[in-house]
Amino acid sequence: MGEAIVITSGKGGVGKTTTSANLGTALALQGKKVCLIDTDIGLRNLDVILGLENRIIYDLVDVVEGRCKVHQALVKDKRFEDRLFLLPAAQTTDKSAVNPEQMKKLVLEMKMDYDYVLIDCPAGIEQGYKNAIAGADRAIVVTTPEISAVRDADRIIGLLEAEEGIEPPKLIINRIREGMMESGETLDINEITTHLSIDLLGIVMDDRNVISSSNKGEPVVMDPTHPAAIGYRNIARRILGESVPLMTMGKSKTGFFGKIKNIFGK
Amino acid sequence: MTKSQLITIKGTKDGLVLRLDDHCSFSDLLDELKEKVTGSVLEGVSEVQLHTGRRFCDEQDMKSILAIIHTSPNLRVSKVHSDVISLEACEKKLIEEQSETYVGIVRSGQVVRAQGDLVIIGDVNQSAQVIAGGSIYVLGRVKGIAHAGANGNKDAVIAASWLEATHLKIADKMEIMTDELTILSEQPEMECAYLHKNGQIAIDRLQELRHLRPNLATFKGGI
Repeated sequence: MGEAIVITSGKGGVGKTTTSANLGTALALQGKKVCLIDTDIGLRNLDVILGLENRIIYDLVDVVEGRCKVHQALVKDKRFEDRLFLLPAAQTTDKSAVNPEQMKKLVLEMKMDYDYVLIDCPAGIEQGYKNAIAGADRAIVVTTPEISAVRDADRIIGLLEAEEGIEPPKLIINRIREGMMESGETLDINEITTHLSIDLLGIVMDDRNVISSSNKGEPVVMDPTHPAAIGYRNIARRILGESVPLMTMGKSKTGFFGKIKNIFGK
Repeated sequence: MTKSQLITIKGTKDGLVLRLDDHCSFSDLLDELKEKVTGSVLEGVSEVQLHTGRRFCDEQDMKSILAIIHTSPNLRVSKVHSDVISLEACEKKLIEEQSETYVGIVRSGQVVRAQGDLVIIGDVNQSAQVIAGGSIYVLGRVKGIAHAGANGNKDAVIAASWLEATHLKIADKMEIMTDELTILSEQPEMECAYLHKNGQIAIDRLQELRHLRPNLATFKGGI
């Protein structure tokens, strides 16, 4: 029996979908069998980032309404043999097409066949959010070093903590600009973790390759030379239970890229 | 049959004490009170303490008693003493004097309410609210909104390890923390907010609290 992990943030645009795609890919690269579920009904994106858009036949709403079997709706990512699947969201309807009970049942069914079921949550705290968390065992909260994103993360953490059956959420700080963080223009990692006081699962650097690779439909994590890819790979290993030290930032003179070389030198 | 006295008047060093019988009917009591008041020969104004014993007088009853006493220009009621209160009033008082404890972080959008005092062990984050009928004590940072004395208690205070709230409210007064106040809060000292005599919310060192609100302490005696 696998585990269901919901990836949420409250605020939009902090990188939930990118994180879902990359963590799913990273876990598949580690040899795990992974299914990604896009619950952003009406505004689906996960298929685009994975480059699977043109292979969708059925979607989440078709499955819960019984128009097709789950395995018919699943889109297999051929790059990973039988290890990475996507259950796409419907684009032609909205969040109210599905209810939490249906999601719970669906996720439970999926957990039987997969090691990890990653649920990509839509922005907001309404119906879509409630659907996304319904079947989850664990939660990952994504934030960026911006006050607005941290505020919304705080709200989401409060809601998740009040939820029964979900482990205490873990935090990913996404899109870190090292220079701005060092000069104090953005919140630093310490400030964010003390404010939110939940465990930090990992950090991901702001990386232009994320955008270009998303546009190509190839998650950035596939190319391990990119800074963001290292962040995502580390997080995936921590999800698997390994203890991986946090990427160091800052004061040493090697510089950012030098440090990445160091990481690979080890 | 001799009529026993329903009303006894005693002189004490604090003035006259008017003890009203608590077994007779209320109308008999009023009749005798009228008699006593009109029959009294007093010079100057005397302060009178009213003891109603175990008779429960509601507002209306008390009004009629006071009206009779105040027909005499020589009497002024300084204090009313009763041995009983209604169950409702008692429950209200119990709740108000209760202290509730919340352990954990109050996160953005969450509201923690208490009828009496409220103790928070943890932070109150931005956009979170803590509301109490009594005082609020926070072992942690207050970065959100704190409202003490929500039922109108002007003596309520807000005390915290770090008082960095965006909004402070005491009774019906609200203070938006300006930069100036925030700068004050950056001092590494525990602070408390209270309603100053001038009607504004003031912030002071926590050490001043015992002088500002001596009645907050319930611990009596000791050396």
